[in-house]
Formats: sequence, C-alpha cells, structure tokens
Amino acid sequence: MIEITTTIINRLGLHARAASLLVNCASEFQSEIWLKVDERRVNGKSIMGVLTLAASQGTAITIQAEGDDEAEAANAVKQLIDRRFNEDE
Amino acid sequence: MTLALTGHGAADGIAIGRVHLAERNEAEIGEYRISESGVEKEISRFRDAVSRASEELRELGEKLTAETSSTASEIIASHIVMLHDSSFGHSIDSRIREELCNAEWALQAQLEKILAEFRQIDDPYIRSRGEDVAHVVSLVQHNLDDESSSQALNSIPDRLADTLVVASELTPGELAALHQRGVAGIITEHGSTYSHTAIMAGSLDIPAVLGVRQARELLNEGENLVLDGRMGLVYANPNKALLKHYRDAHRRSARHRTSLRAIREVPSQSRDEISVSLQANAERIDEIELAMRDGAESVGLFRTEFLFLAPGVPGENEQYAAYSEALKTLAGKTLTIRTLDLGADKSSPGESLGHPAETANPALGLRAVRLCLRDTEMFKTQLRAILRTSAEGPVRCLIPMLTTIQEVRMVRALINECCQELRDRGLDFDPDMPLGGMIEVPAAALAAAELARHLDFLSVGTNDLLQYTLAADRVDEQVAHLYDPRHPGVIQLLKMIVVAGKARGIPVTVCGELAGDKRYIRLLLALGIREFSMHANRLLQVKQVITNTHVGHAEQVFEQWQEGHAEAYDLDLLEMIDSSQ
Repeated sequence: MIEITTTIINRLGLHARAASLLVNCASEFQSEIWLKVDERRVNGKSIMGVLTLAASQGTAITIQAEGDDEAEAANAVKQLIDRRFNEDE
Repeated sequence: MTLALTGHGAADGIAIGRVHLAERNEAEIGEYRISESGVEKEISRFRDAVSRASEELRELGEKLTAETSSTASEIIASHIVMLHDSSFGHSIDSRIREELCNAEWALQAQLEKILAEFRQIDDPYIRSRGEDVAHVVSLVQHNLDDESSSQALNSIPDRLADTLVVASELTPGELAALHQRGVAGIITEHGSTYSHTAIMAGSLDIPAVLGVRQARELLNEGENLVLDGRMGLVYANPNKALLKHYRDAHRRSARHRTSLRAIREVPSQSRDEISVSLQANAERIDEIELAMRDGAESVGLFRTEFLFLAPGVPGENEQYAAYSEALKTLAGKTLTIRTLDLGADKSSPGESLGHPAETANPALGLRAVRLCLRDTEMFKTQLRAILRTSAEGPVRCLIPMLTTIQEVRMVRALINECCQELRDRGLDFDPDMPLGGMIEVPAAALAAAELARHLDFLSVGTNDLLQYTLAADRVDEQVAHLYDPRHPGVIQLLKMIVVAGKARGIPVTVCGELAGDKRYIRLLLALGIREFSMHANRLLQVKQVITNTHVGHAEQVFEQWQEGHAEAYDLDLLEMIDSSQ
C-alpha cells in the first residue's frame, strides 16, 4: 500500500466538479483508492463518498492506494489535486 | 383578483401562460422480506432498474447535447455517474444480502444514511448535492416499480407550449423532459438556488421560480399566470396593466432571439451593428479546441500556472513546448500568454519556488509580477519561452497584478535582455511582441491613463479588481453580497479603464468572470467595452446577449445614469439598460 499526503489548494475546495474529476481519475486505475481527511476515510472511486468529504481549501488530504498500479494511481490523484483541478484559482 | 407569490428566482426570463398542476406518483416504499434463495434475483432486479434508469438519463443527455449548451448535459452526466457509484451499488447489494429485504427498502435506508451525512456539510453548494442523490435514487425506485407509468410525473400533456408547470419539486431529468415538450416556465414548492434543477433551468433558458410555498394549493389548474424569473415573482390572474407590462417586456427580449445552436453561425455583432470581439480564457488544449469550435476570435488569457505546480521550476524548453502547442492549436489566431500569477503563500505551490511561506495576507503579498521581479532568473526563463513562441505565430504577453509604472519599465528591460540572449543563441522571436497589463489593482485602475502610455493593451481582471475595490471576499458567504459589479464605484472604475484605453488607442479586454456572465454583458457594452474573454463554455450565451442588444441605446442610458449622481445608487442601471432595448 502507498500513502501520500497533499493539500487542497483551489479556492472552491473539493466541490462537485472537482469531486467528479477526482473520481474519474481514480476510476482509471485498477488499485483500490481511499481518501482520508482527519478521521474520515472514503472510497476514492465513489462520487457520493468523495462529495461527503466536502474538503475545503487548505485541508490536508491523504491518498491511499493498494494494488498493482498503486504508485501511478496515488500520483495521478495527487497531481490532479495539486493542479487545482485545472481551475482558475 | 391578482394573486402574487414569491420564491427564489432560479432562472431569468418572463413566462406567460396557463397553470398545469403536476401530480407526482408518490409510490409508497414497501418493505418485505425475501428468502435467502431469492437474494440473487433481488440484486438482479435492482441492477436492472439501475440500467433502465441509466438508459433514460443517457437518452435525455443526448438530446440535450444536440441542442443546447453543455451545462445541462453535464448535470445529467453527473447523475449518470452517481447512478453507477460503485460504493453505493455494493452497499445496496450488501443490505439485500444481510437484511434479506427488498431492493426498494435497501435503497431507501441507504439514501437516508447518505442524506444524513450530507446534512452535516457546511458548504451549501455541496450540501445541495444531497438533492442529486435523492433524485437519482427516486429514478431507480421508479424503475423498480413495474406498475407505474413511464413518467414519475402524472398526466403531463405532450405539448406544453404556453404552459407553466407547477410541481412540488422537479428533478433535472424531469425538467429536461418538460423542456422537450416546450414548457414555458416552471414553479416548484421546494428547491434552492444551488440545486441542479435551478442551474439546469438557467442553462435551458426556462424561466423558473423555486421555493414557492404551497404553490399547488394556491394556484388553480388552467389559471392565467405571469412568471418573472429574475425577480422570483409569480402573478396568478394578472390584471390588464400587469399583463401588458410583461407582454411588452417579453416581446422585447424575444424579438431577436436566436437559438444557441444557430448563434454559432451568426457574426458577433450588436443589433446596431457594432462588432464585439469574443475571446477565450484557457489553459488546456481541449479548452482551446472548444473555444475554436464556438467561434472565439483568439485566446485572450492563457494561464501558465499549471506549469509551476510541480516541485521545482519548469525549464525554458518545457515551457516553450507547452506555449507552442497551444499556439499551434489556435491555427493562426492570437495567443495571449499571462506570466506567472502565483503567490509565495502557504496555500499555493509558489512555496516550491523557494520563497518564504508565511504571509499574513496572501492577496496583498508577494504574488504575480511582484514575485517575478524578485526572482528574475525564473521570470526571464518564462519570458524567453514566451518570446521563442512569438516567432511561430501571433503572441501577446500579459503581466498580472500590475501596480506601478516602474514595474512595467522593469518588465520591458528584462524582455530586452531576453531578446539579446536569444539573439546570441541564434533563436528567433517577434521583436514587436505586444506587452499588456492586467488591471486588477485599484490603484492601477485609477491610474490607468498613465499606465496605458506604457502598454500595448489592457486586460481587466474583474474578479480581483472587484474584491480589492469592494474589500469583500466573494467566497465568504457573510460578505459575498457586497461583491456587486453594479456598485457605482466599480462602474466608475471600469469606465476609467475604458477611457484610458480609448485615449491611447489601445484595446481593453475584460477577462474576469464578469465577461462570461450574461447578466452584465449589456452593462459592459454600455461602458464601452468591445472585447470579452471568457471560459469557452460561455461564448455562445454571451454572443446571444450581444446580438440581442442595441449598444447605442445602452450607452445613452449609461450617460443619463452618470449624470444622476446622488441618486445613482438607488437606480438599477441594469434595468434601465434593459428597458431601453
């Protein structure tokens, strides 16, 4: 299993559009992917789960991946978050 | 007697017609036990219902994409994603297996659990997404019920022209179906402005008022109705005067309306034949492609931050490759590249650029051109990459967050150094590459006339300009109401920038969110703005407003308003402009 932590930096946080992009990204990988904020842990491939995280700008988030492509998967998700989900700010 | 009701104006526009009260098939969620041997069959039943629901949504989505802008079909697409949410599906399977209950009951129980989680969320926009889960589940419930008709809403006539549908609430899917039948307007008892139904109504141009309590009790089937989407008002049995007022308003707005699809082919010109330049804000190749497809003249703002998000600093070649690809995609149209607009504060990856992270006030700190003029190594690398790209096609360079003339002078000096360095390396560039500034700092706006003497073009960054000028964070719910482009102070500031540009004969482009907001296009035109740069998915809507506007009339109204002075704050300039059209 691989674990990386990063921070939500875009202004709107993990809102609906960002959540969809994240779930789409995670779903391309074979590994199981989990997202952890404080004590809450959700399935990174579940839109409902990711939405309920409601992580706002500045929140620390941990990406956990387990499987054959776990390194790629965790990195891809981290990149997406670090790139502010391609948003303006 | 005229009855007036109020609610949340969810989508602009006026609708006049007759009431149709929609009844919902409130299926009771029955609970019954199933045997262990029946578990697989029950799970199949659930999965089949999901497939059928998915098919329904997919068909709706297809029809929407063919006709209208992308927002409506994106909402439907998001519902399809929810429908296939793997965790959700597994949890239903588990419930059926473990509790030996029917699919309907498992769905209901799981829905309640999820809704409880959503209710805990502070952010109202994300909290509203709980509504989407409810809508999606009700679609599945409906497909589980063999006996119900194919519509969740009972007895909807096939043709809904001149009809306003009144319902307790409407799912985006149902709204799309009503749209297919030509509904004139909708009224619901529940629903918030953040709901996807509201957004969808706006996107489909269906005037809508949501949250009208007890609408179905107070309104009568077949009654005459006037709906004012912008004000959130519904008038039942309107008297002659009211009817005439609204009929006239409706006629004015409908007169030159062309459907969004047809708008693509029409030139970007006002009713009085004033040409307006429509440009796109972009940072990805697919955004540029969409912009080209929807008729953007050029890219008015190419953001470069994405290159700087990974740790370390991107090299000249890497940047050059990215800018070059963007330029190629434009096939001859102009690319305006904005230099790095990041800060050195903790919440932005600018930290990886090796500058101190602790800043009390990031918005007022070492950001954008200020940061670049501190770290000239990094800045010159970017400038050289931009200059090299200018050899391959029309490129303009845009400096964010300009505050002083000294900054412009320093940037020009650095560009000259870079030109020399490139010459020494035998590389080509455009020696006349235009240099522009983003006017977003209020001092820069006030001194725009001075700054304009040293720049080749101006871009107005309305997002930050408004925030700095009104001292209000538009994302902070408690003060977001102050972020209002209609404030006379803001309007005067914008006018100053336009005047400054005209005096020097240089272009002024509005490239903040305001440029893509159809509510404010006429206002900006009235101020003298002739260039708009926006997200590609706004181009058609904005063009629609432009082709439906008489700029001369709007400008006259603005002059009258300006002379009003003291009363200016109370007069709704937008309404005055609309009435002149």
